Amino acid sequence: MTTNTARDGASTAATTGQAEPGRGTSVRLQDLTRAFGTTRALDGLSIEMAPGELVALLGPSGCGKTTALRIVAGFETADTGSVLVDGKDISSVPAARRDMGMVFQSYSLFPNMSALDNVGFGLRMRKIGAGERRKRAGDLLDMVGLAPQASQYPHQLSGGQQQRVALARALAIRPRVLLLDEPLSALDAKVRLQLREQIRTLQQQLGTTTLFVTHDQEEALSMADRVGVMSNGRLEQIAAPDELYTDPATAFVAEFVGVMNRIPGELRGDGQVAALGSTIPVRGHRPEDTAVDVLVRPEGLRLEVVENGNGIVTTRTFLGSVTRVHVRLSGDIAVQVDKPSAESAALAPGASVAVSLPAQPVLVAARRVS
Amino acid sequence: MAAVTQAAPERIAPPRRPRVVFKGATVWRWVVLIVAAVYFLLPLWAALRFAGIGAFGSVISQPGFTSSLALSVRLAILTTLITIALMLPTTVYVHLRLPKLRRLLEGITILPIVIPPVVLIVGVLAIAPGFLKGTSWLLALAYVVLAMPFTYRALDAGLRALDLKTIVEASNSLGAGWLSTLWRVLLPNLRTALLSATVLCVALVLGEFTMASLDLYQTFPVWIYVNSQTSGQVSVAASLLALFVTWIFLLGITVLGTRQSRKTGGGEVTLFTVARTETRGN
Repeated sequence: MTTNTARDGASTAATTGQAEPGRGTSVRLQDLTRAFGTTRALDGLSIEMAPGELVALLGPSGCGKTTALRIVAGFETADTGSVLVDGKDISSVPAARRDMGMVFQSYSLFPNMSALDNVGFGLRMRKIGAGERRKRAGDLLDMVGLAPQASQYPHQLSGGQQQRVALARALAIRPRVLLLDEPLSALDAKVRLQLREQIRTLQQQLGTTTLFVTHDQEEALSMADRVGVMSNGRLEQIAAPDELYTDPATAFVAEFVGVMNRIPGELRGDGQVAALGSTIPVRGHRPEDTAVDVLVRPEGLRLEVVENGNGIVTTRTFLGSVTRVHVRLSGDIAVQVDKPSAESAALAPGASVAVSLPAQPVLVAARRVS
Repeated sequence: MAAVTQAAPERIAPPRRPRVVFKGATVWRWVVLIVAAVYFLLPLWAALRFAGIGAFGSVISQPGFTSSLALSVRLAILTTLITIALMLPTTVYVHLRLPKLRRLLEGITILPIVIPPVVLIVGVLAIAPGFLKGTSWLLALAYVVLAMPFTYRALDAGLRALDLKTIVEASNSLGAGWLSTLWRVLLPNLRTALLSATVLCVALVLGEFTMASLDLYQTFPVWIYVNSQTSGQVSVAASLLALFVTWIFLLGITVLGTRQSRKTGGGEVTLFTVARTETRGN
């Protein structure tokens, strides 16, 4: 995974992500639980969203993120817990009266209507006259750059265009909350990138509180004000993208977001861990077993070219300003280390290197048997 | 409001691959076509020869012609309306909420095909309430049972071609209730399927003989049969007339439906399948 691009995107989003106060709607998910048969899709999920904020729910498939979104939309009901919009419990309000714009993963345009009529559909349901409706729908199509396609039918549009019409359609009703259910996952990489920026720009311009569900960490980190990482129906951590990356609360988050090395170590009684010949403090959760893996990011490891070091360079990948070096340590442990490209000339495959841990406290996880 | 970003024109799917046609295949296609044409057209031509052109004129003046044709048309309309009114909500509901029951429903809809009409009509007559007996409603209701499998299949094919769940949810989230969703979103997208269902219902009712005759209704097919006892030529002319009228009627529905649905990428009206055009490119 391209950690570095994700990171750059994340920091941009964090600096520009402040919505203007006074616009948008606050949303609060309160202790939501939902079980399907014996599986708990949601297990006490609580999230608070500030007006105008874009929160991304990130997690592997089956972690409950889509269920959460569908409960907010009104397509599912929670077993317990409630959804508050501007402080009011909307649990009993049917989906059709929630004023939430939704963009779906699969193409959801009405095949029998032109792009313009699709965008105007929500306004028609709100009994807005034909003239006003056409004007507003036209403005929105213009906003997503599809004014020339107004009279085309969905089957004449490409996938990316269809999702942009779907976005315009969702925004046309001036929704209190915008819900995005993996809207980009059916598109190819280039269109995905374009649309991602477009969604974010529009969202910030309109100040619409937005809940965005995705399994793509790059998408979540680059677009969201805050990212909630979910696993097994629970929220592992919700934080700004840069914080999530540099200061993950749990081993799951640490490994799910970005690239993470696992280096076997020995947990000691004094709260330190011994690995790669050094002893460093541990932060966060300590497993019961003393056999652990130390979790370190590629840019966190130190790497020097030495005679008879503890590892040998296997491959080297140039990524622009940094170069990722794959090193095989004694004991057949593979790690990745990022070095500034300017300093990596000597790190050719076969070179003997010394890899060591940083001095800062590290996260550890129960050792994975492989 | 101005465009936020001017997206570059997106990829368009490459033009369709030209179909490879083998010479041998073309020859076989013509052989099959000619054999089928002879098989179907020869009896028609023979019937036409037997009846003679003059018989067509006297068909219309025969006693019972108008009333039996009117009865058949009334039955066709009644049956189609009742069947669609029953099957449309049922099929949509099953697709949306009870997808597991789809197989069961399919099984049920096979029954009227495998059970002989004689058995069905005897059963219907045995349990029909008195006020229905002797009215055209009774026969229409029996025909609804016969038409159900075809209607179900046509609607099923239409619904399969739609991403029903997403479309319904999209409609809901935009503020449309169930009735608006059914009327404004589902019906227009199922037009092709509904036309197929109509075609099948009408063809079925206009041609059904067993049930009508056992139940002592003089529908058009029954009238033709009764007439053939007295005047062979006139009855053959009548059946040819019925055949052409039905054929033109069905052709009209099909052409009209296809023209309308092609605009929205809805595919052609074929009786059991609805081929929807794929989304192109990305």
